[in-house]
Amino acid sequence: MEQNAPHKVALIANCLLNQNAKVCQGANYRGVVSPVVEALRRRGYLLQQLPCPELAFAGVRRWWAVYEQYDTPAYREHCRRLAQAIAPQIEQYLRRGDEVILIGLDGSPSSGVRFTSSNPDWGGRPNRPQDDWKIVPRRGIWIEELEAELARRGLPQLPATGWALDMGCFDEAGARRDLEEFLDSRERAAGSQGKDPAAP
Amino acid sequence: MSDDARGWRIALVPDSLLDIRGTSSTALPDVVSVLEESGYGLLQLPPPGEHRLLLAVIADQVAEYSHHGYAVVAIGVRGEVGEGLHWRRLAPLLRHRGAALPPRHILRPDRDAAAERQRLAAFLTGYDLPLEEQRRWRV
Repeated sequence: MEQNAPHKVALIANCLLNQNAKVCQGANYRGVVSPVVEALRRRGYLLQQLPCPELAFAGVRRWWAVYEQYDTPAYREHCRRLAQAIAPQIEQYLRRGDEVILIGLDGSPSSGVRFTSSNPDWGGRPNRPQDDWKIVPRRGIWIEELEAELARRGLPQLPATGWALDMGCFDEAGARRDLEEFLDSRERAAGSQGKDPAAP
Repeated sequence: MSDDARGWRIALVPDSLLDIRGTSSTALPDVVSVLEESGYGLLQLPPPGEHRLLLAVIADQVAEYSHHGYAVVAIGVRGEVGEGLHWRRLAPLLRHRGAALPPRHILRPDRDAAAERQRLAAFLTGYDLPLEEQRRWRV
């Protein structure tokens, strides 16, 4: 196999390879999220795990939080530091002509791609009633900062979707369908541009 | 954490072991599938090179896990630079953060892949924190 040939690279949220990064009571798998990994590897994607911004910032025993609580200068600065750590690798992929996609975690205040969790009222003593946050169509803070760092480097916006783990009521079959459709659409797009979608 | 499925065990894994094209062309087992079966999450290490900032970020995460009841191991590959683990850089970063160095398991590409897979699975299954530590954190 030609190692220097263009690859297909999937940047994936940290917790999709390591559910131990999830906030307490947020892990749906023991470790690896198998359906995501299986779908990507079956299509020949190399996996590139992104750092987990929440774990490094607030620890493994952090409280649940929504977008507004993480939307602080300190957290954004932390996310920028992480983005600067991983961006050189992403830049290298793109400069050598790899197809790079991003798989985040929909509903996450940090790693959401299509959706994030929101409630401007959250704060103070953590005794909120269950499920009183809203899901809104917006990037999470980490994804916003990662995309901003890539843009600063003159890199194009990446095709992206999210595994819908943090949407309040996780539906694995629906999430799998969503992901497969996204990946199939990438293969169709590559095919229409004359690229061999099977070529890694 | 009764509604939580996490396995409490994590492996540091060289970048090369996540490349299925790499493992299909050598005698190395598919490490990701062994980790899945063993209930481990993984932290991907960068390819050979400097990566100072990224390794510091990874060290932060490993320290956070090891201070809170998670079992962390490292899987290296014989023949790769630093066995793919960046140990000369990572070990001092972990020591600086007061984290114990994870036990290492080194894969041998010159051996039979099935046997290496079994050896890895036995290592992963057999390793965990002492029961007292598990009881302290994993409730």
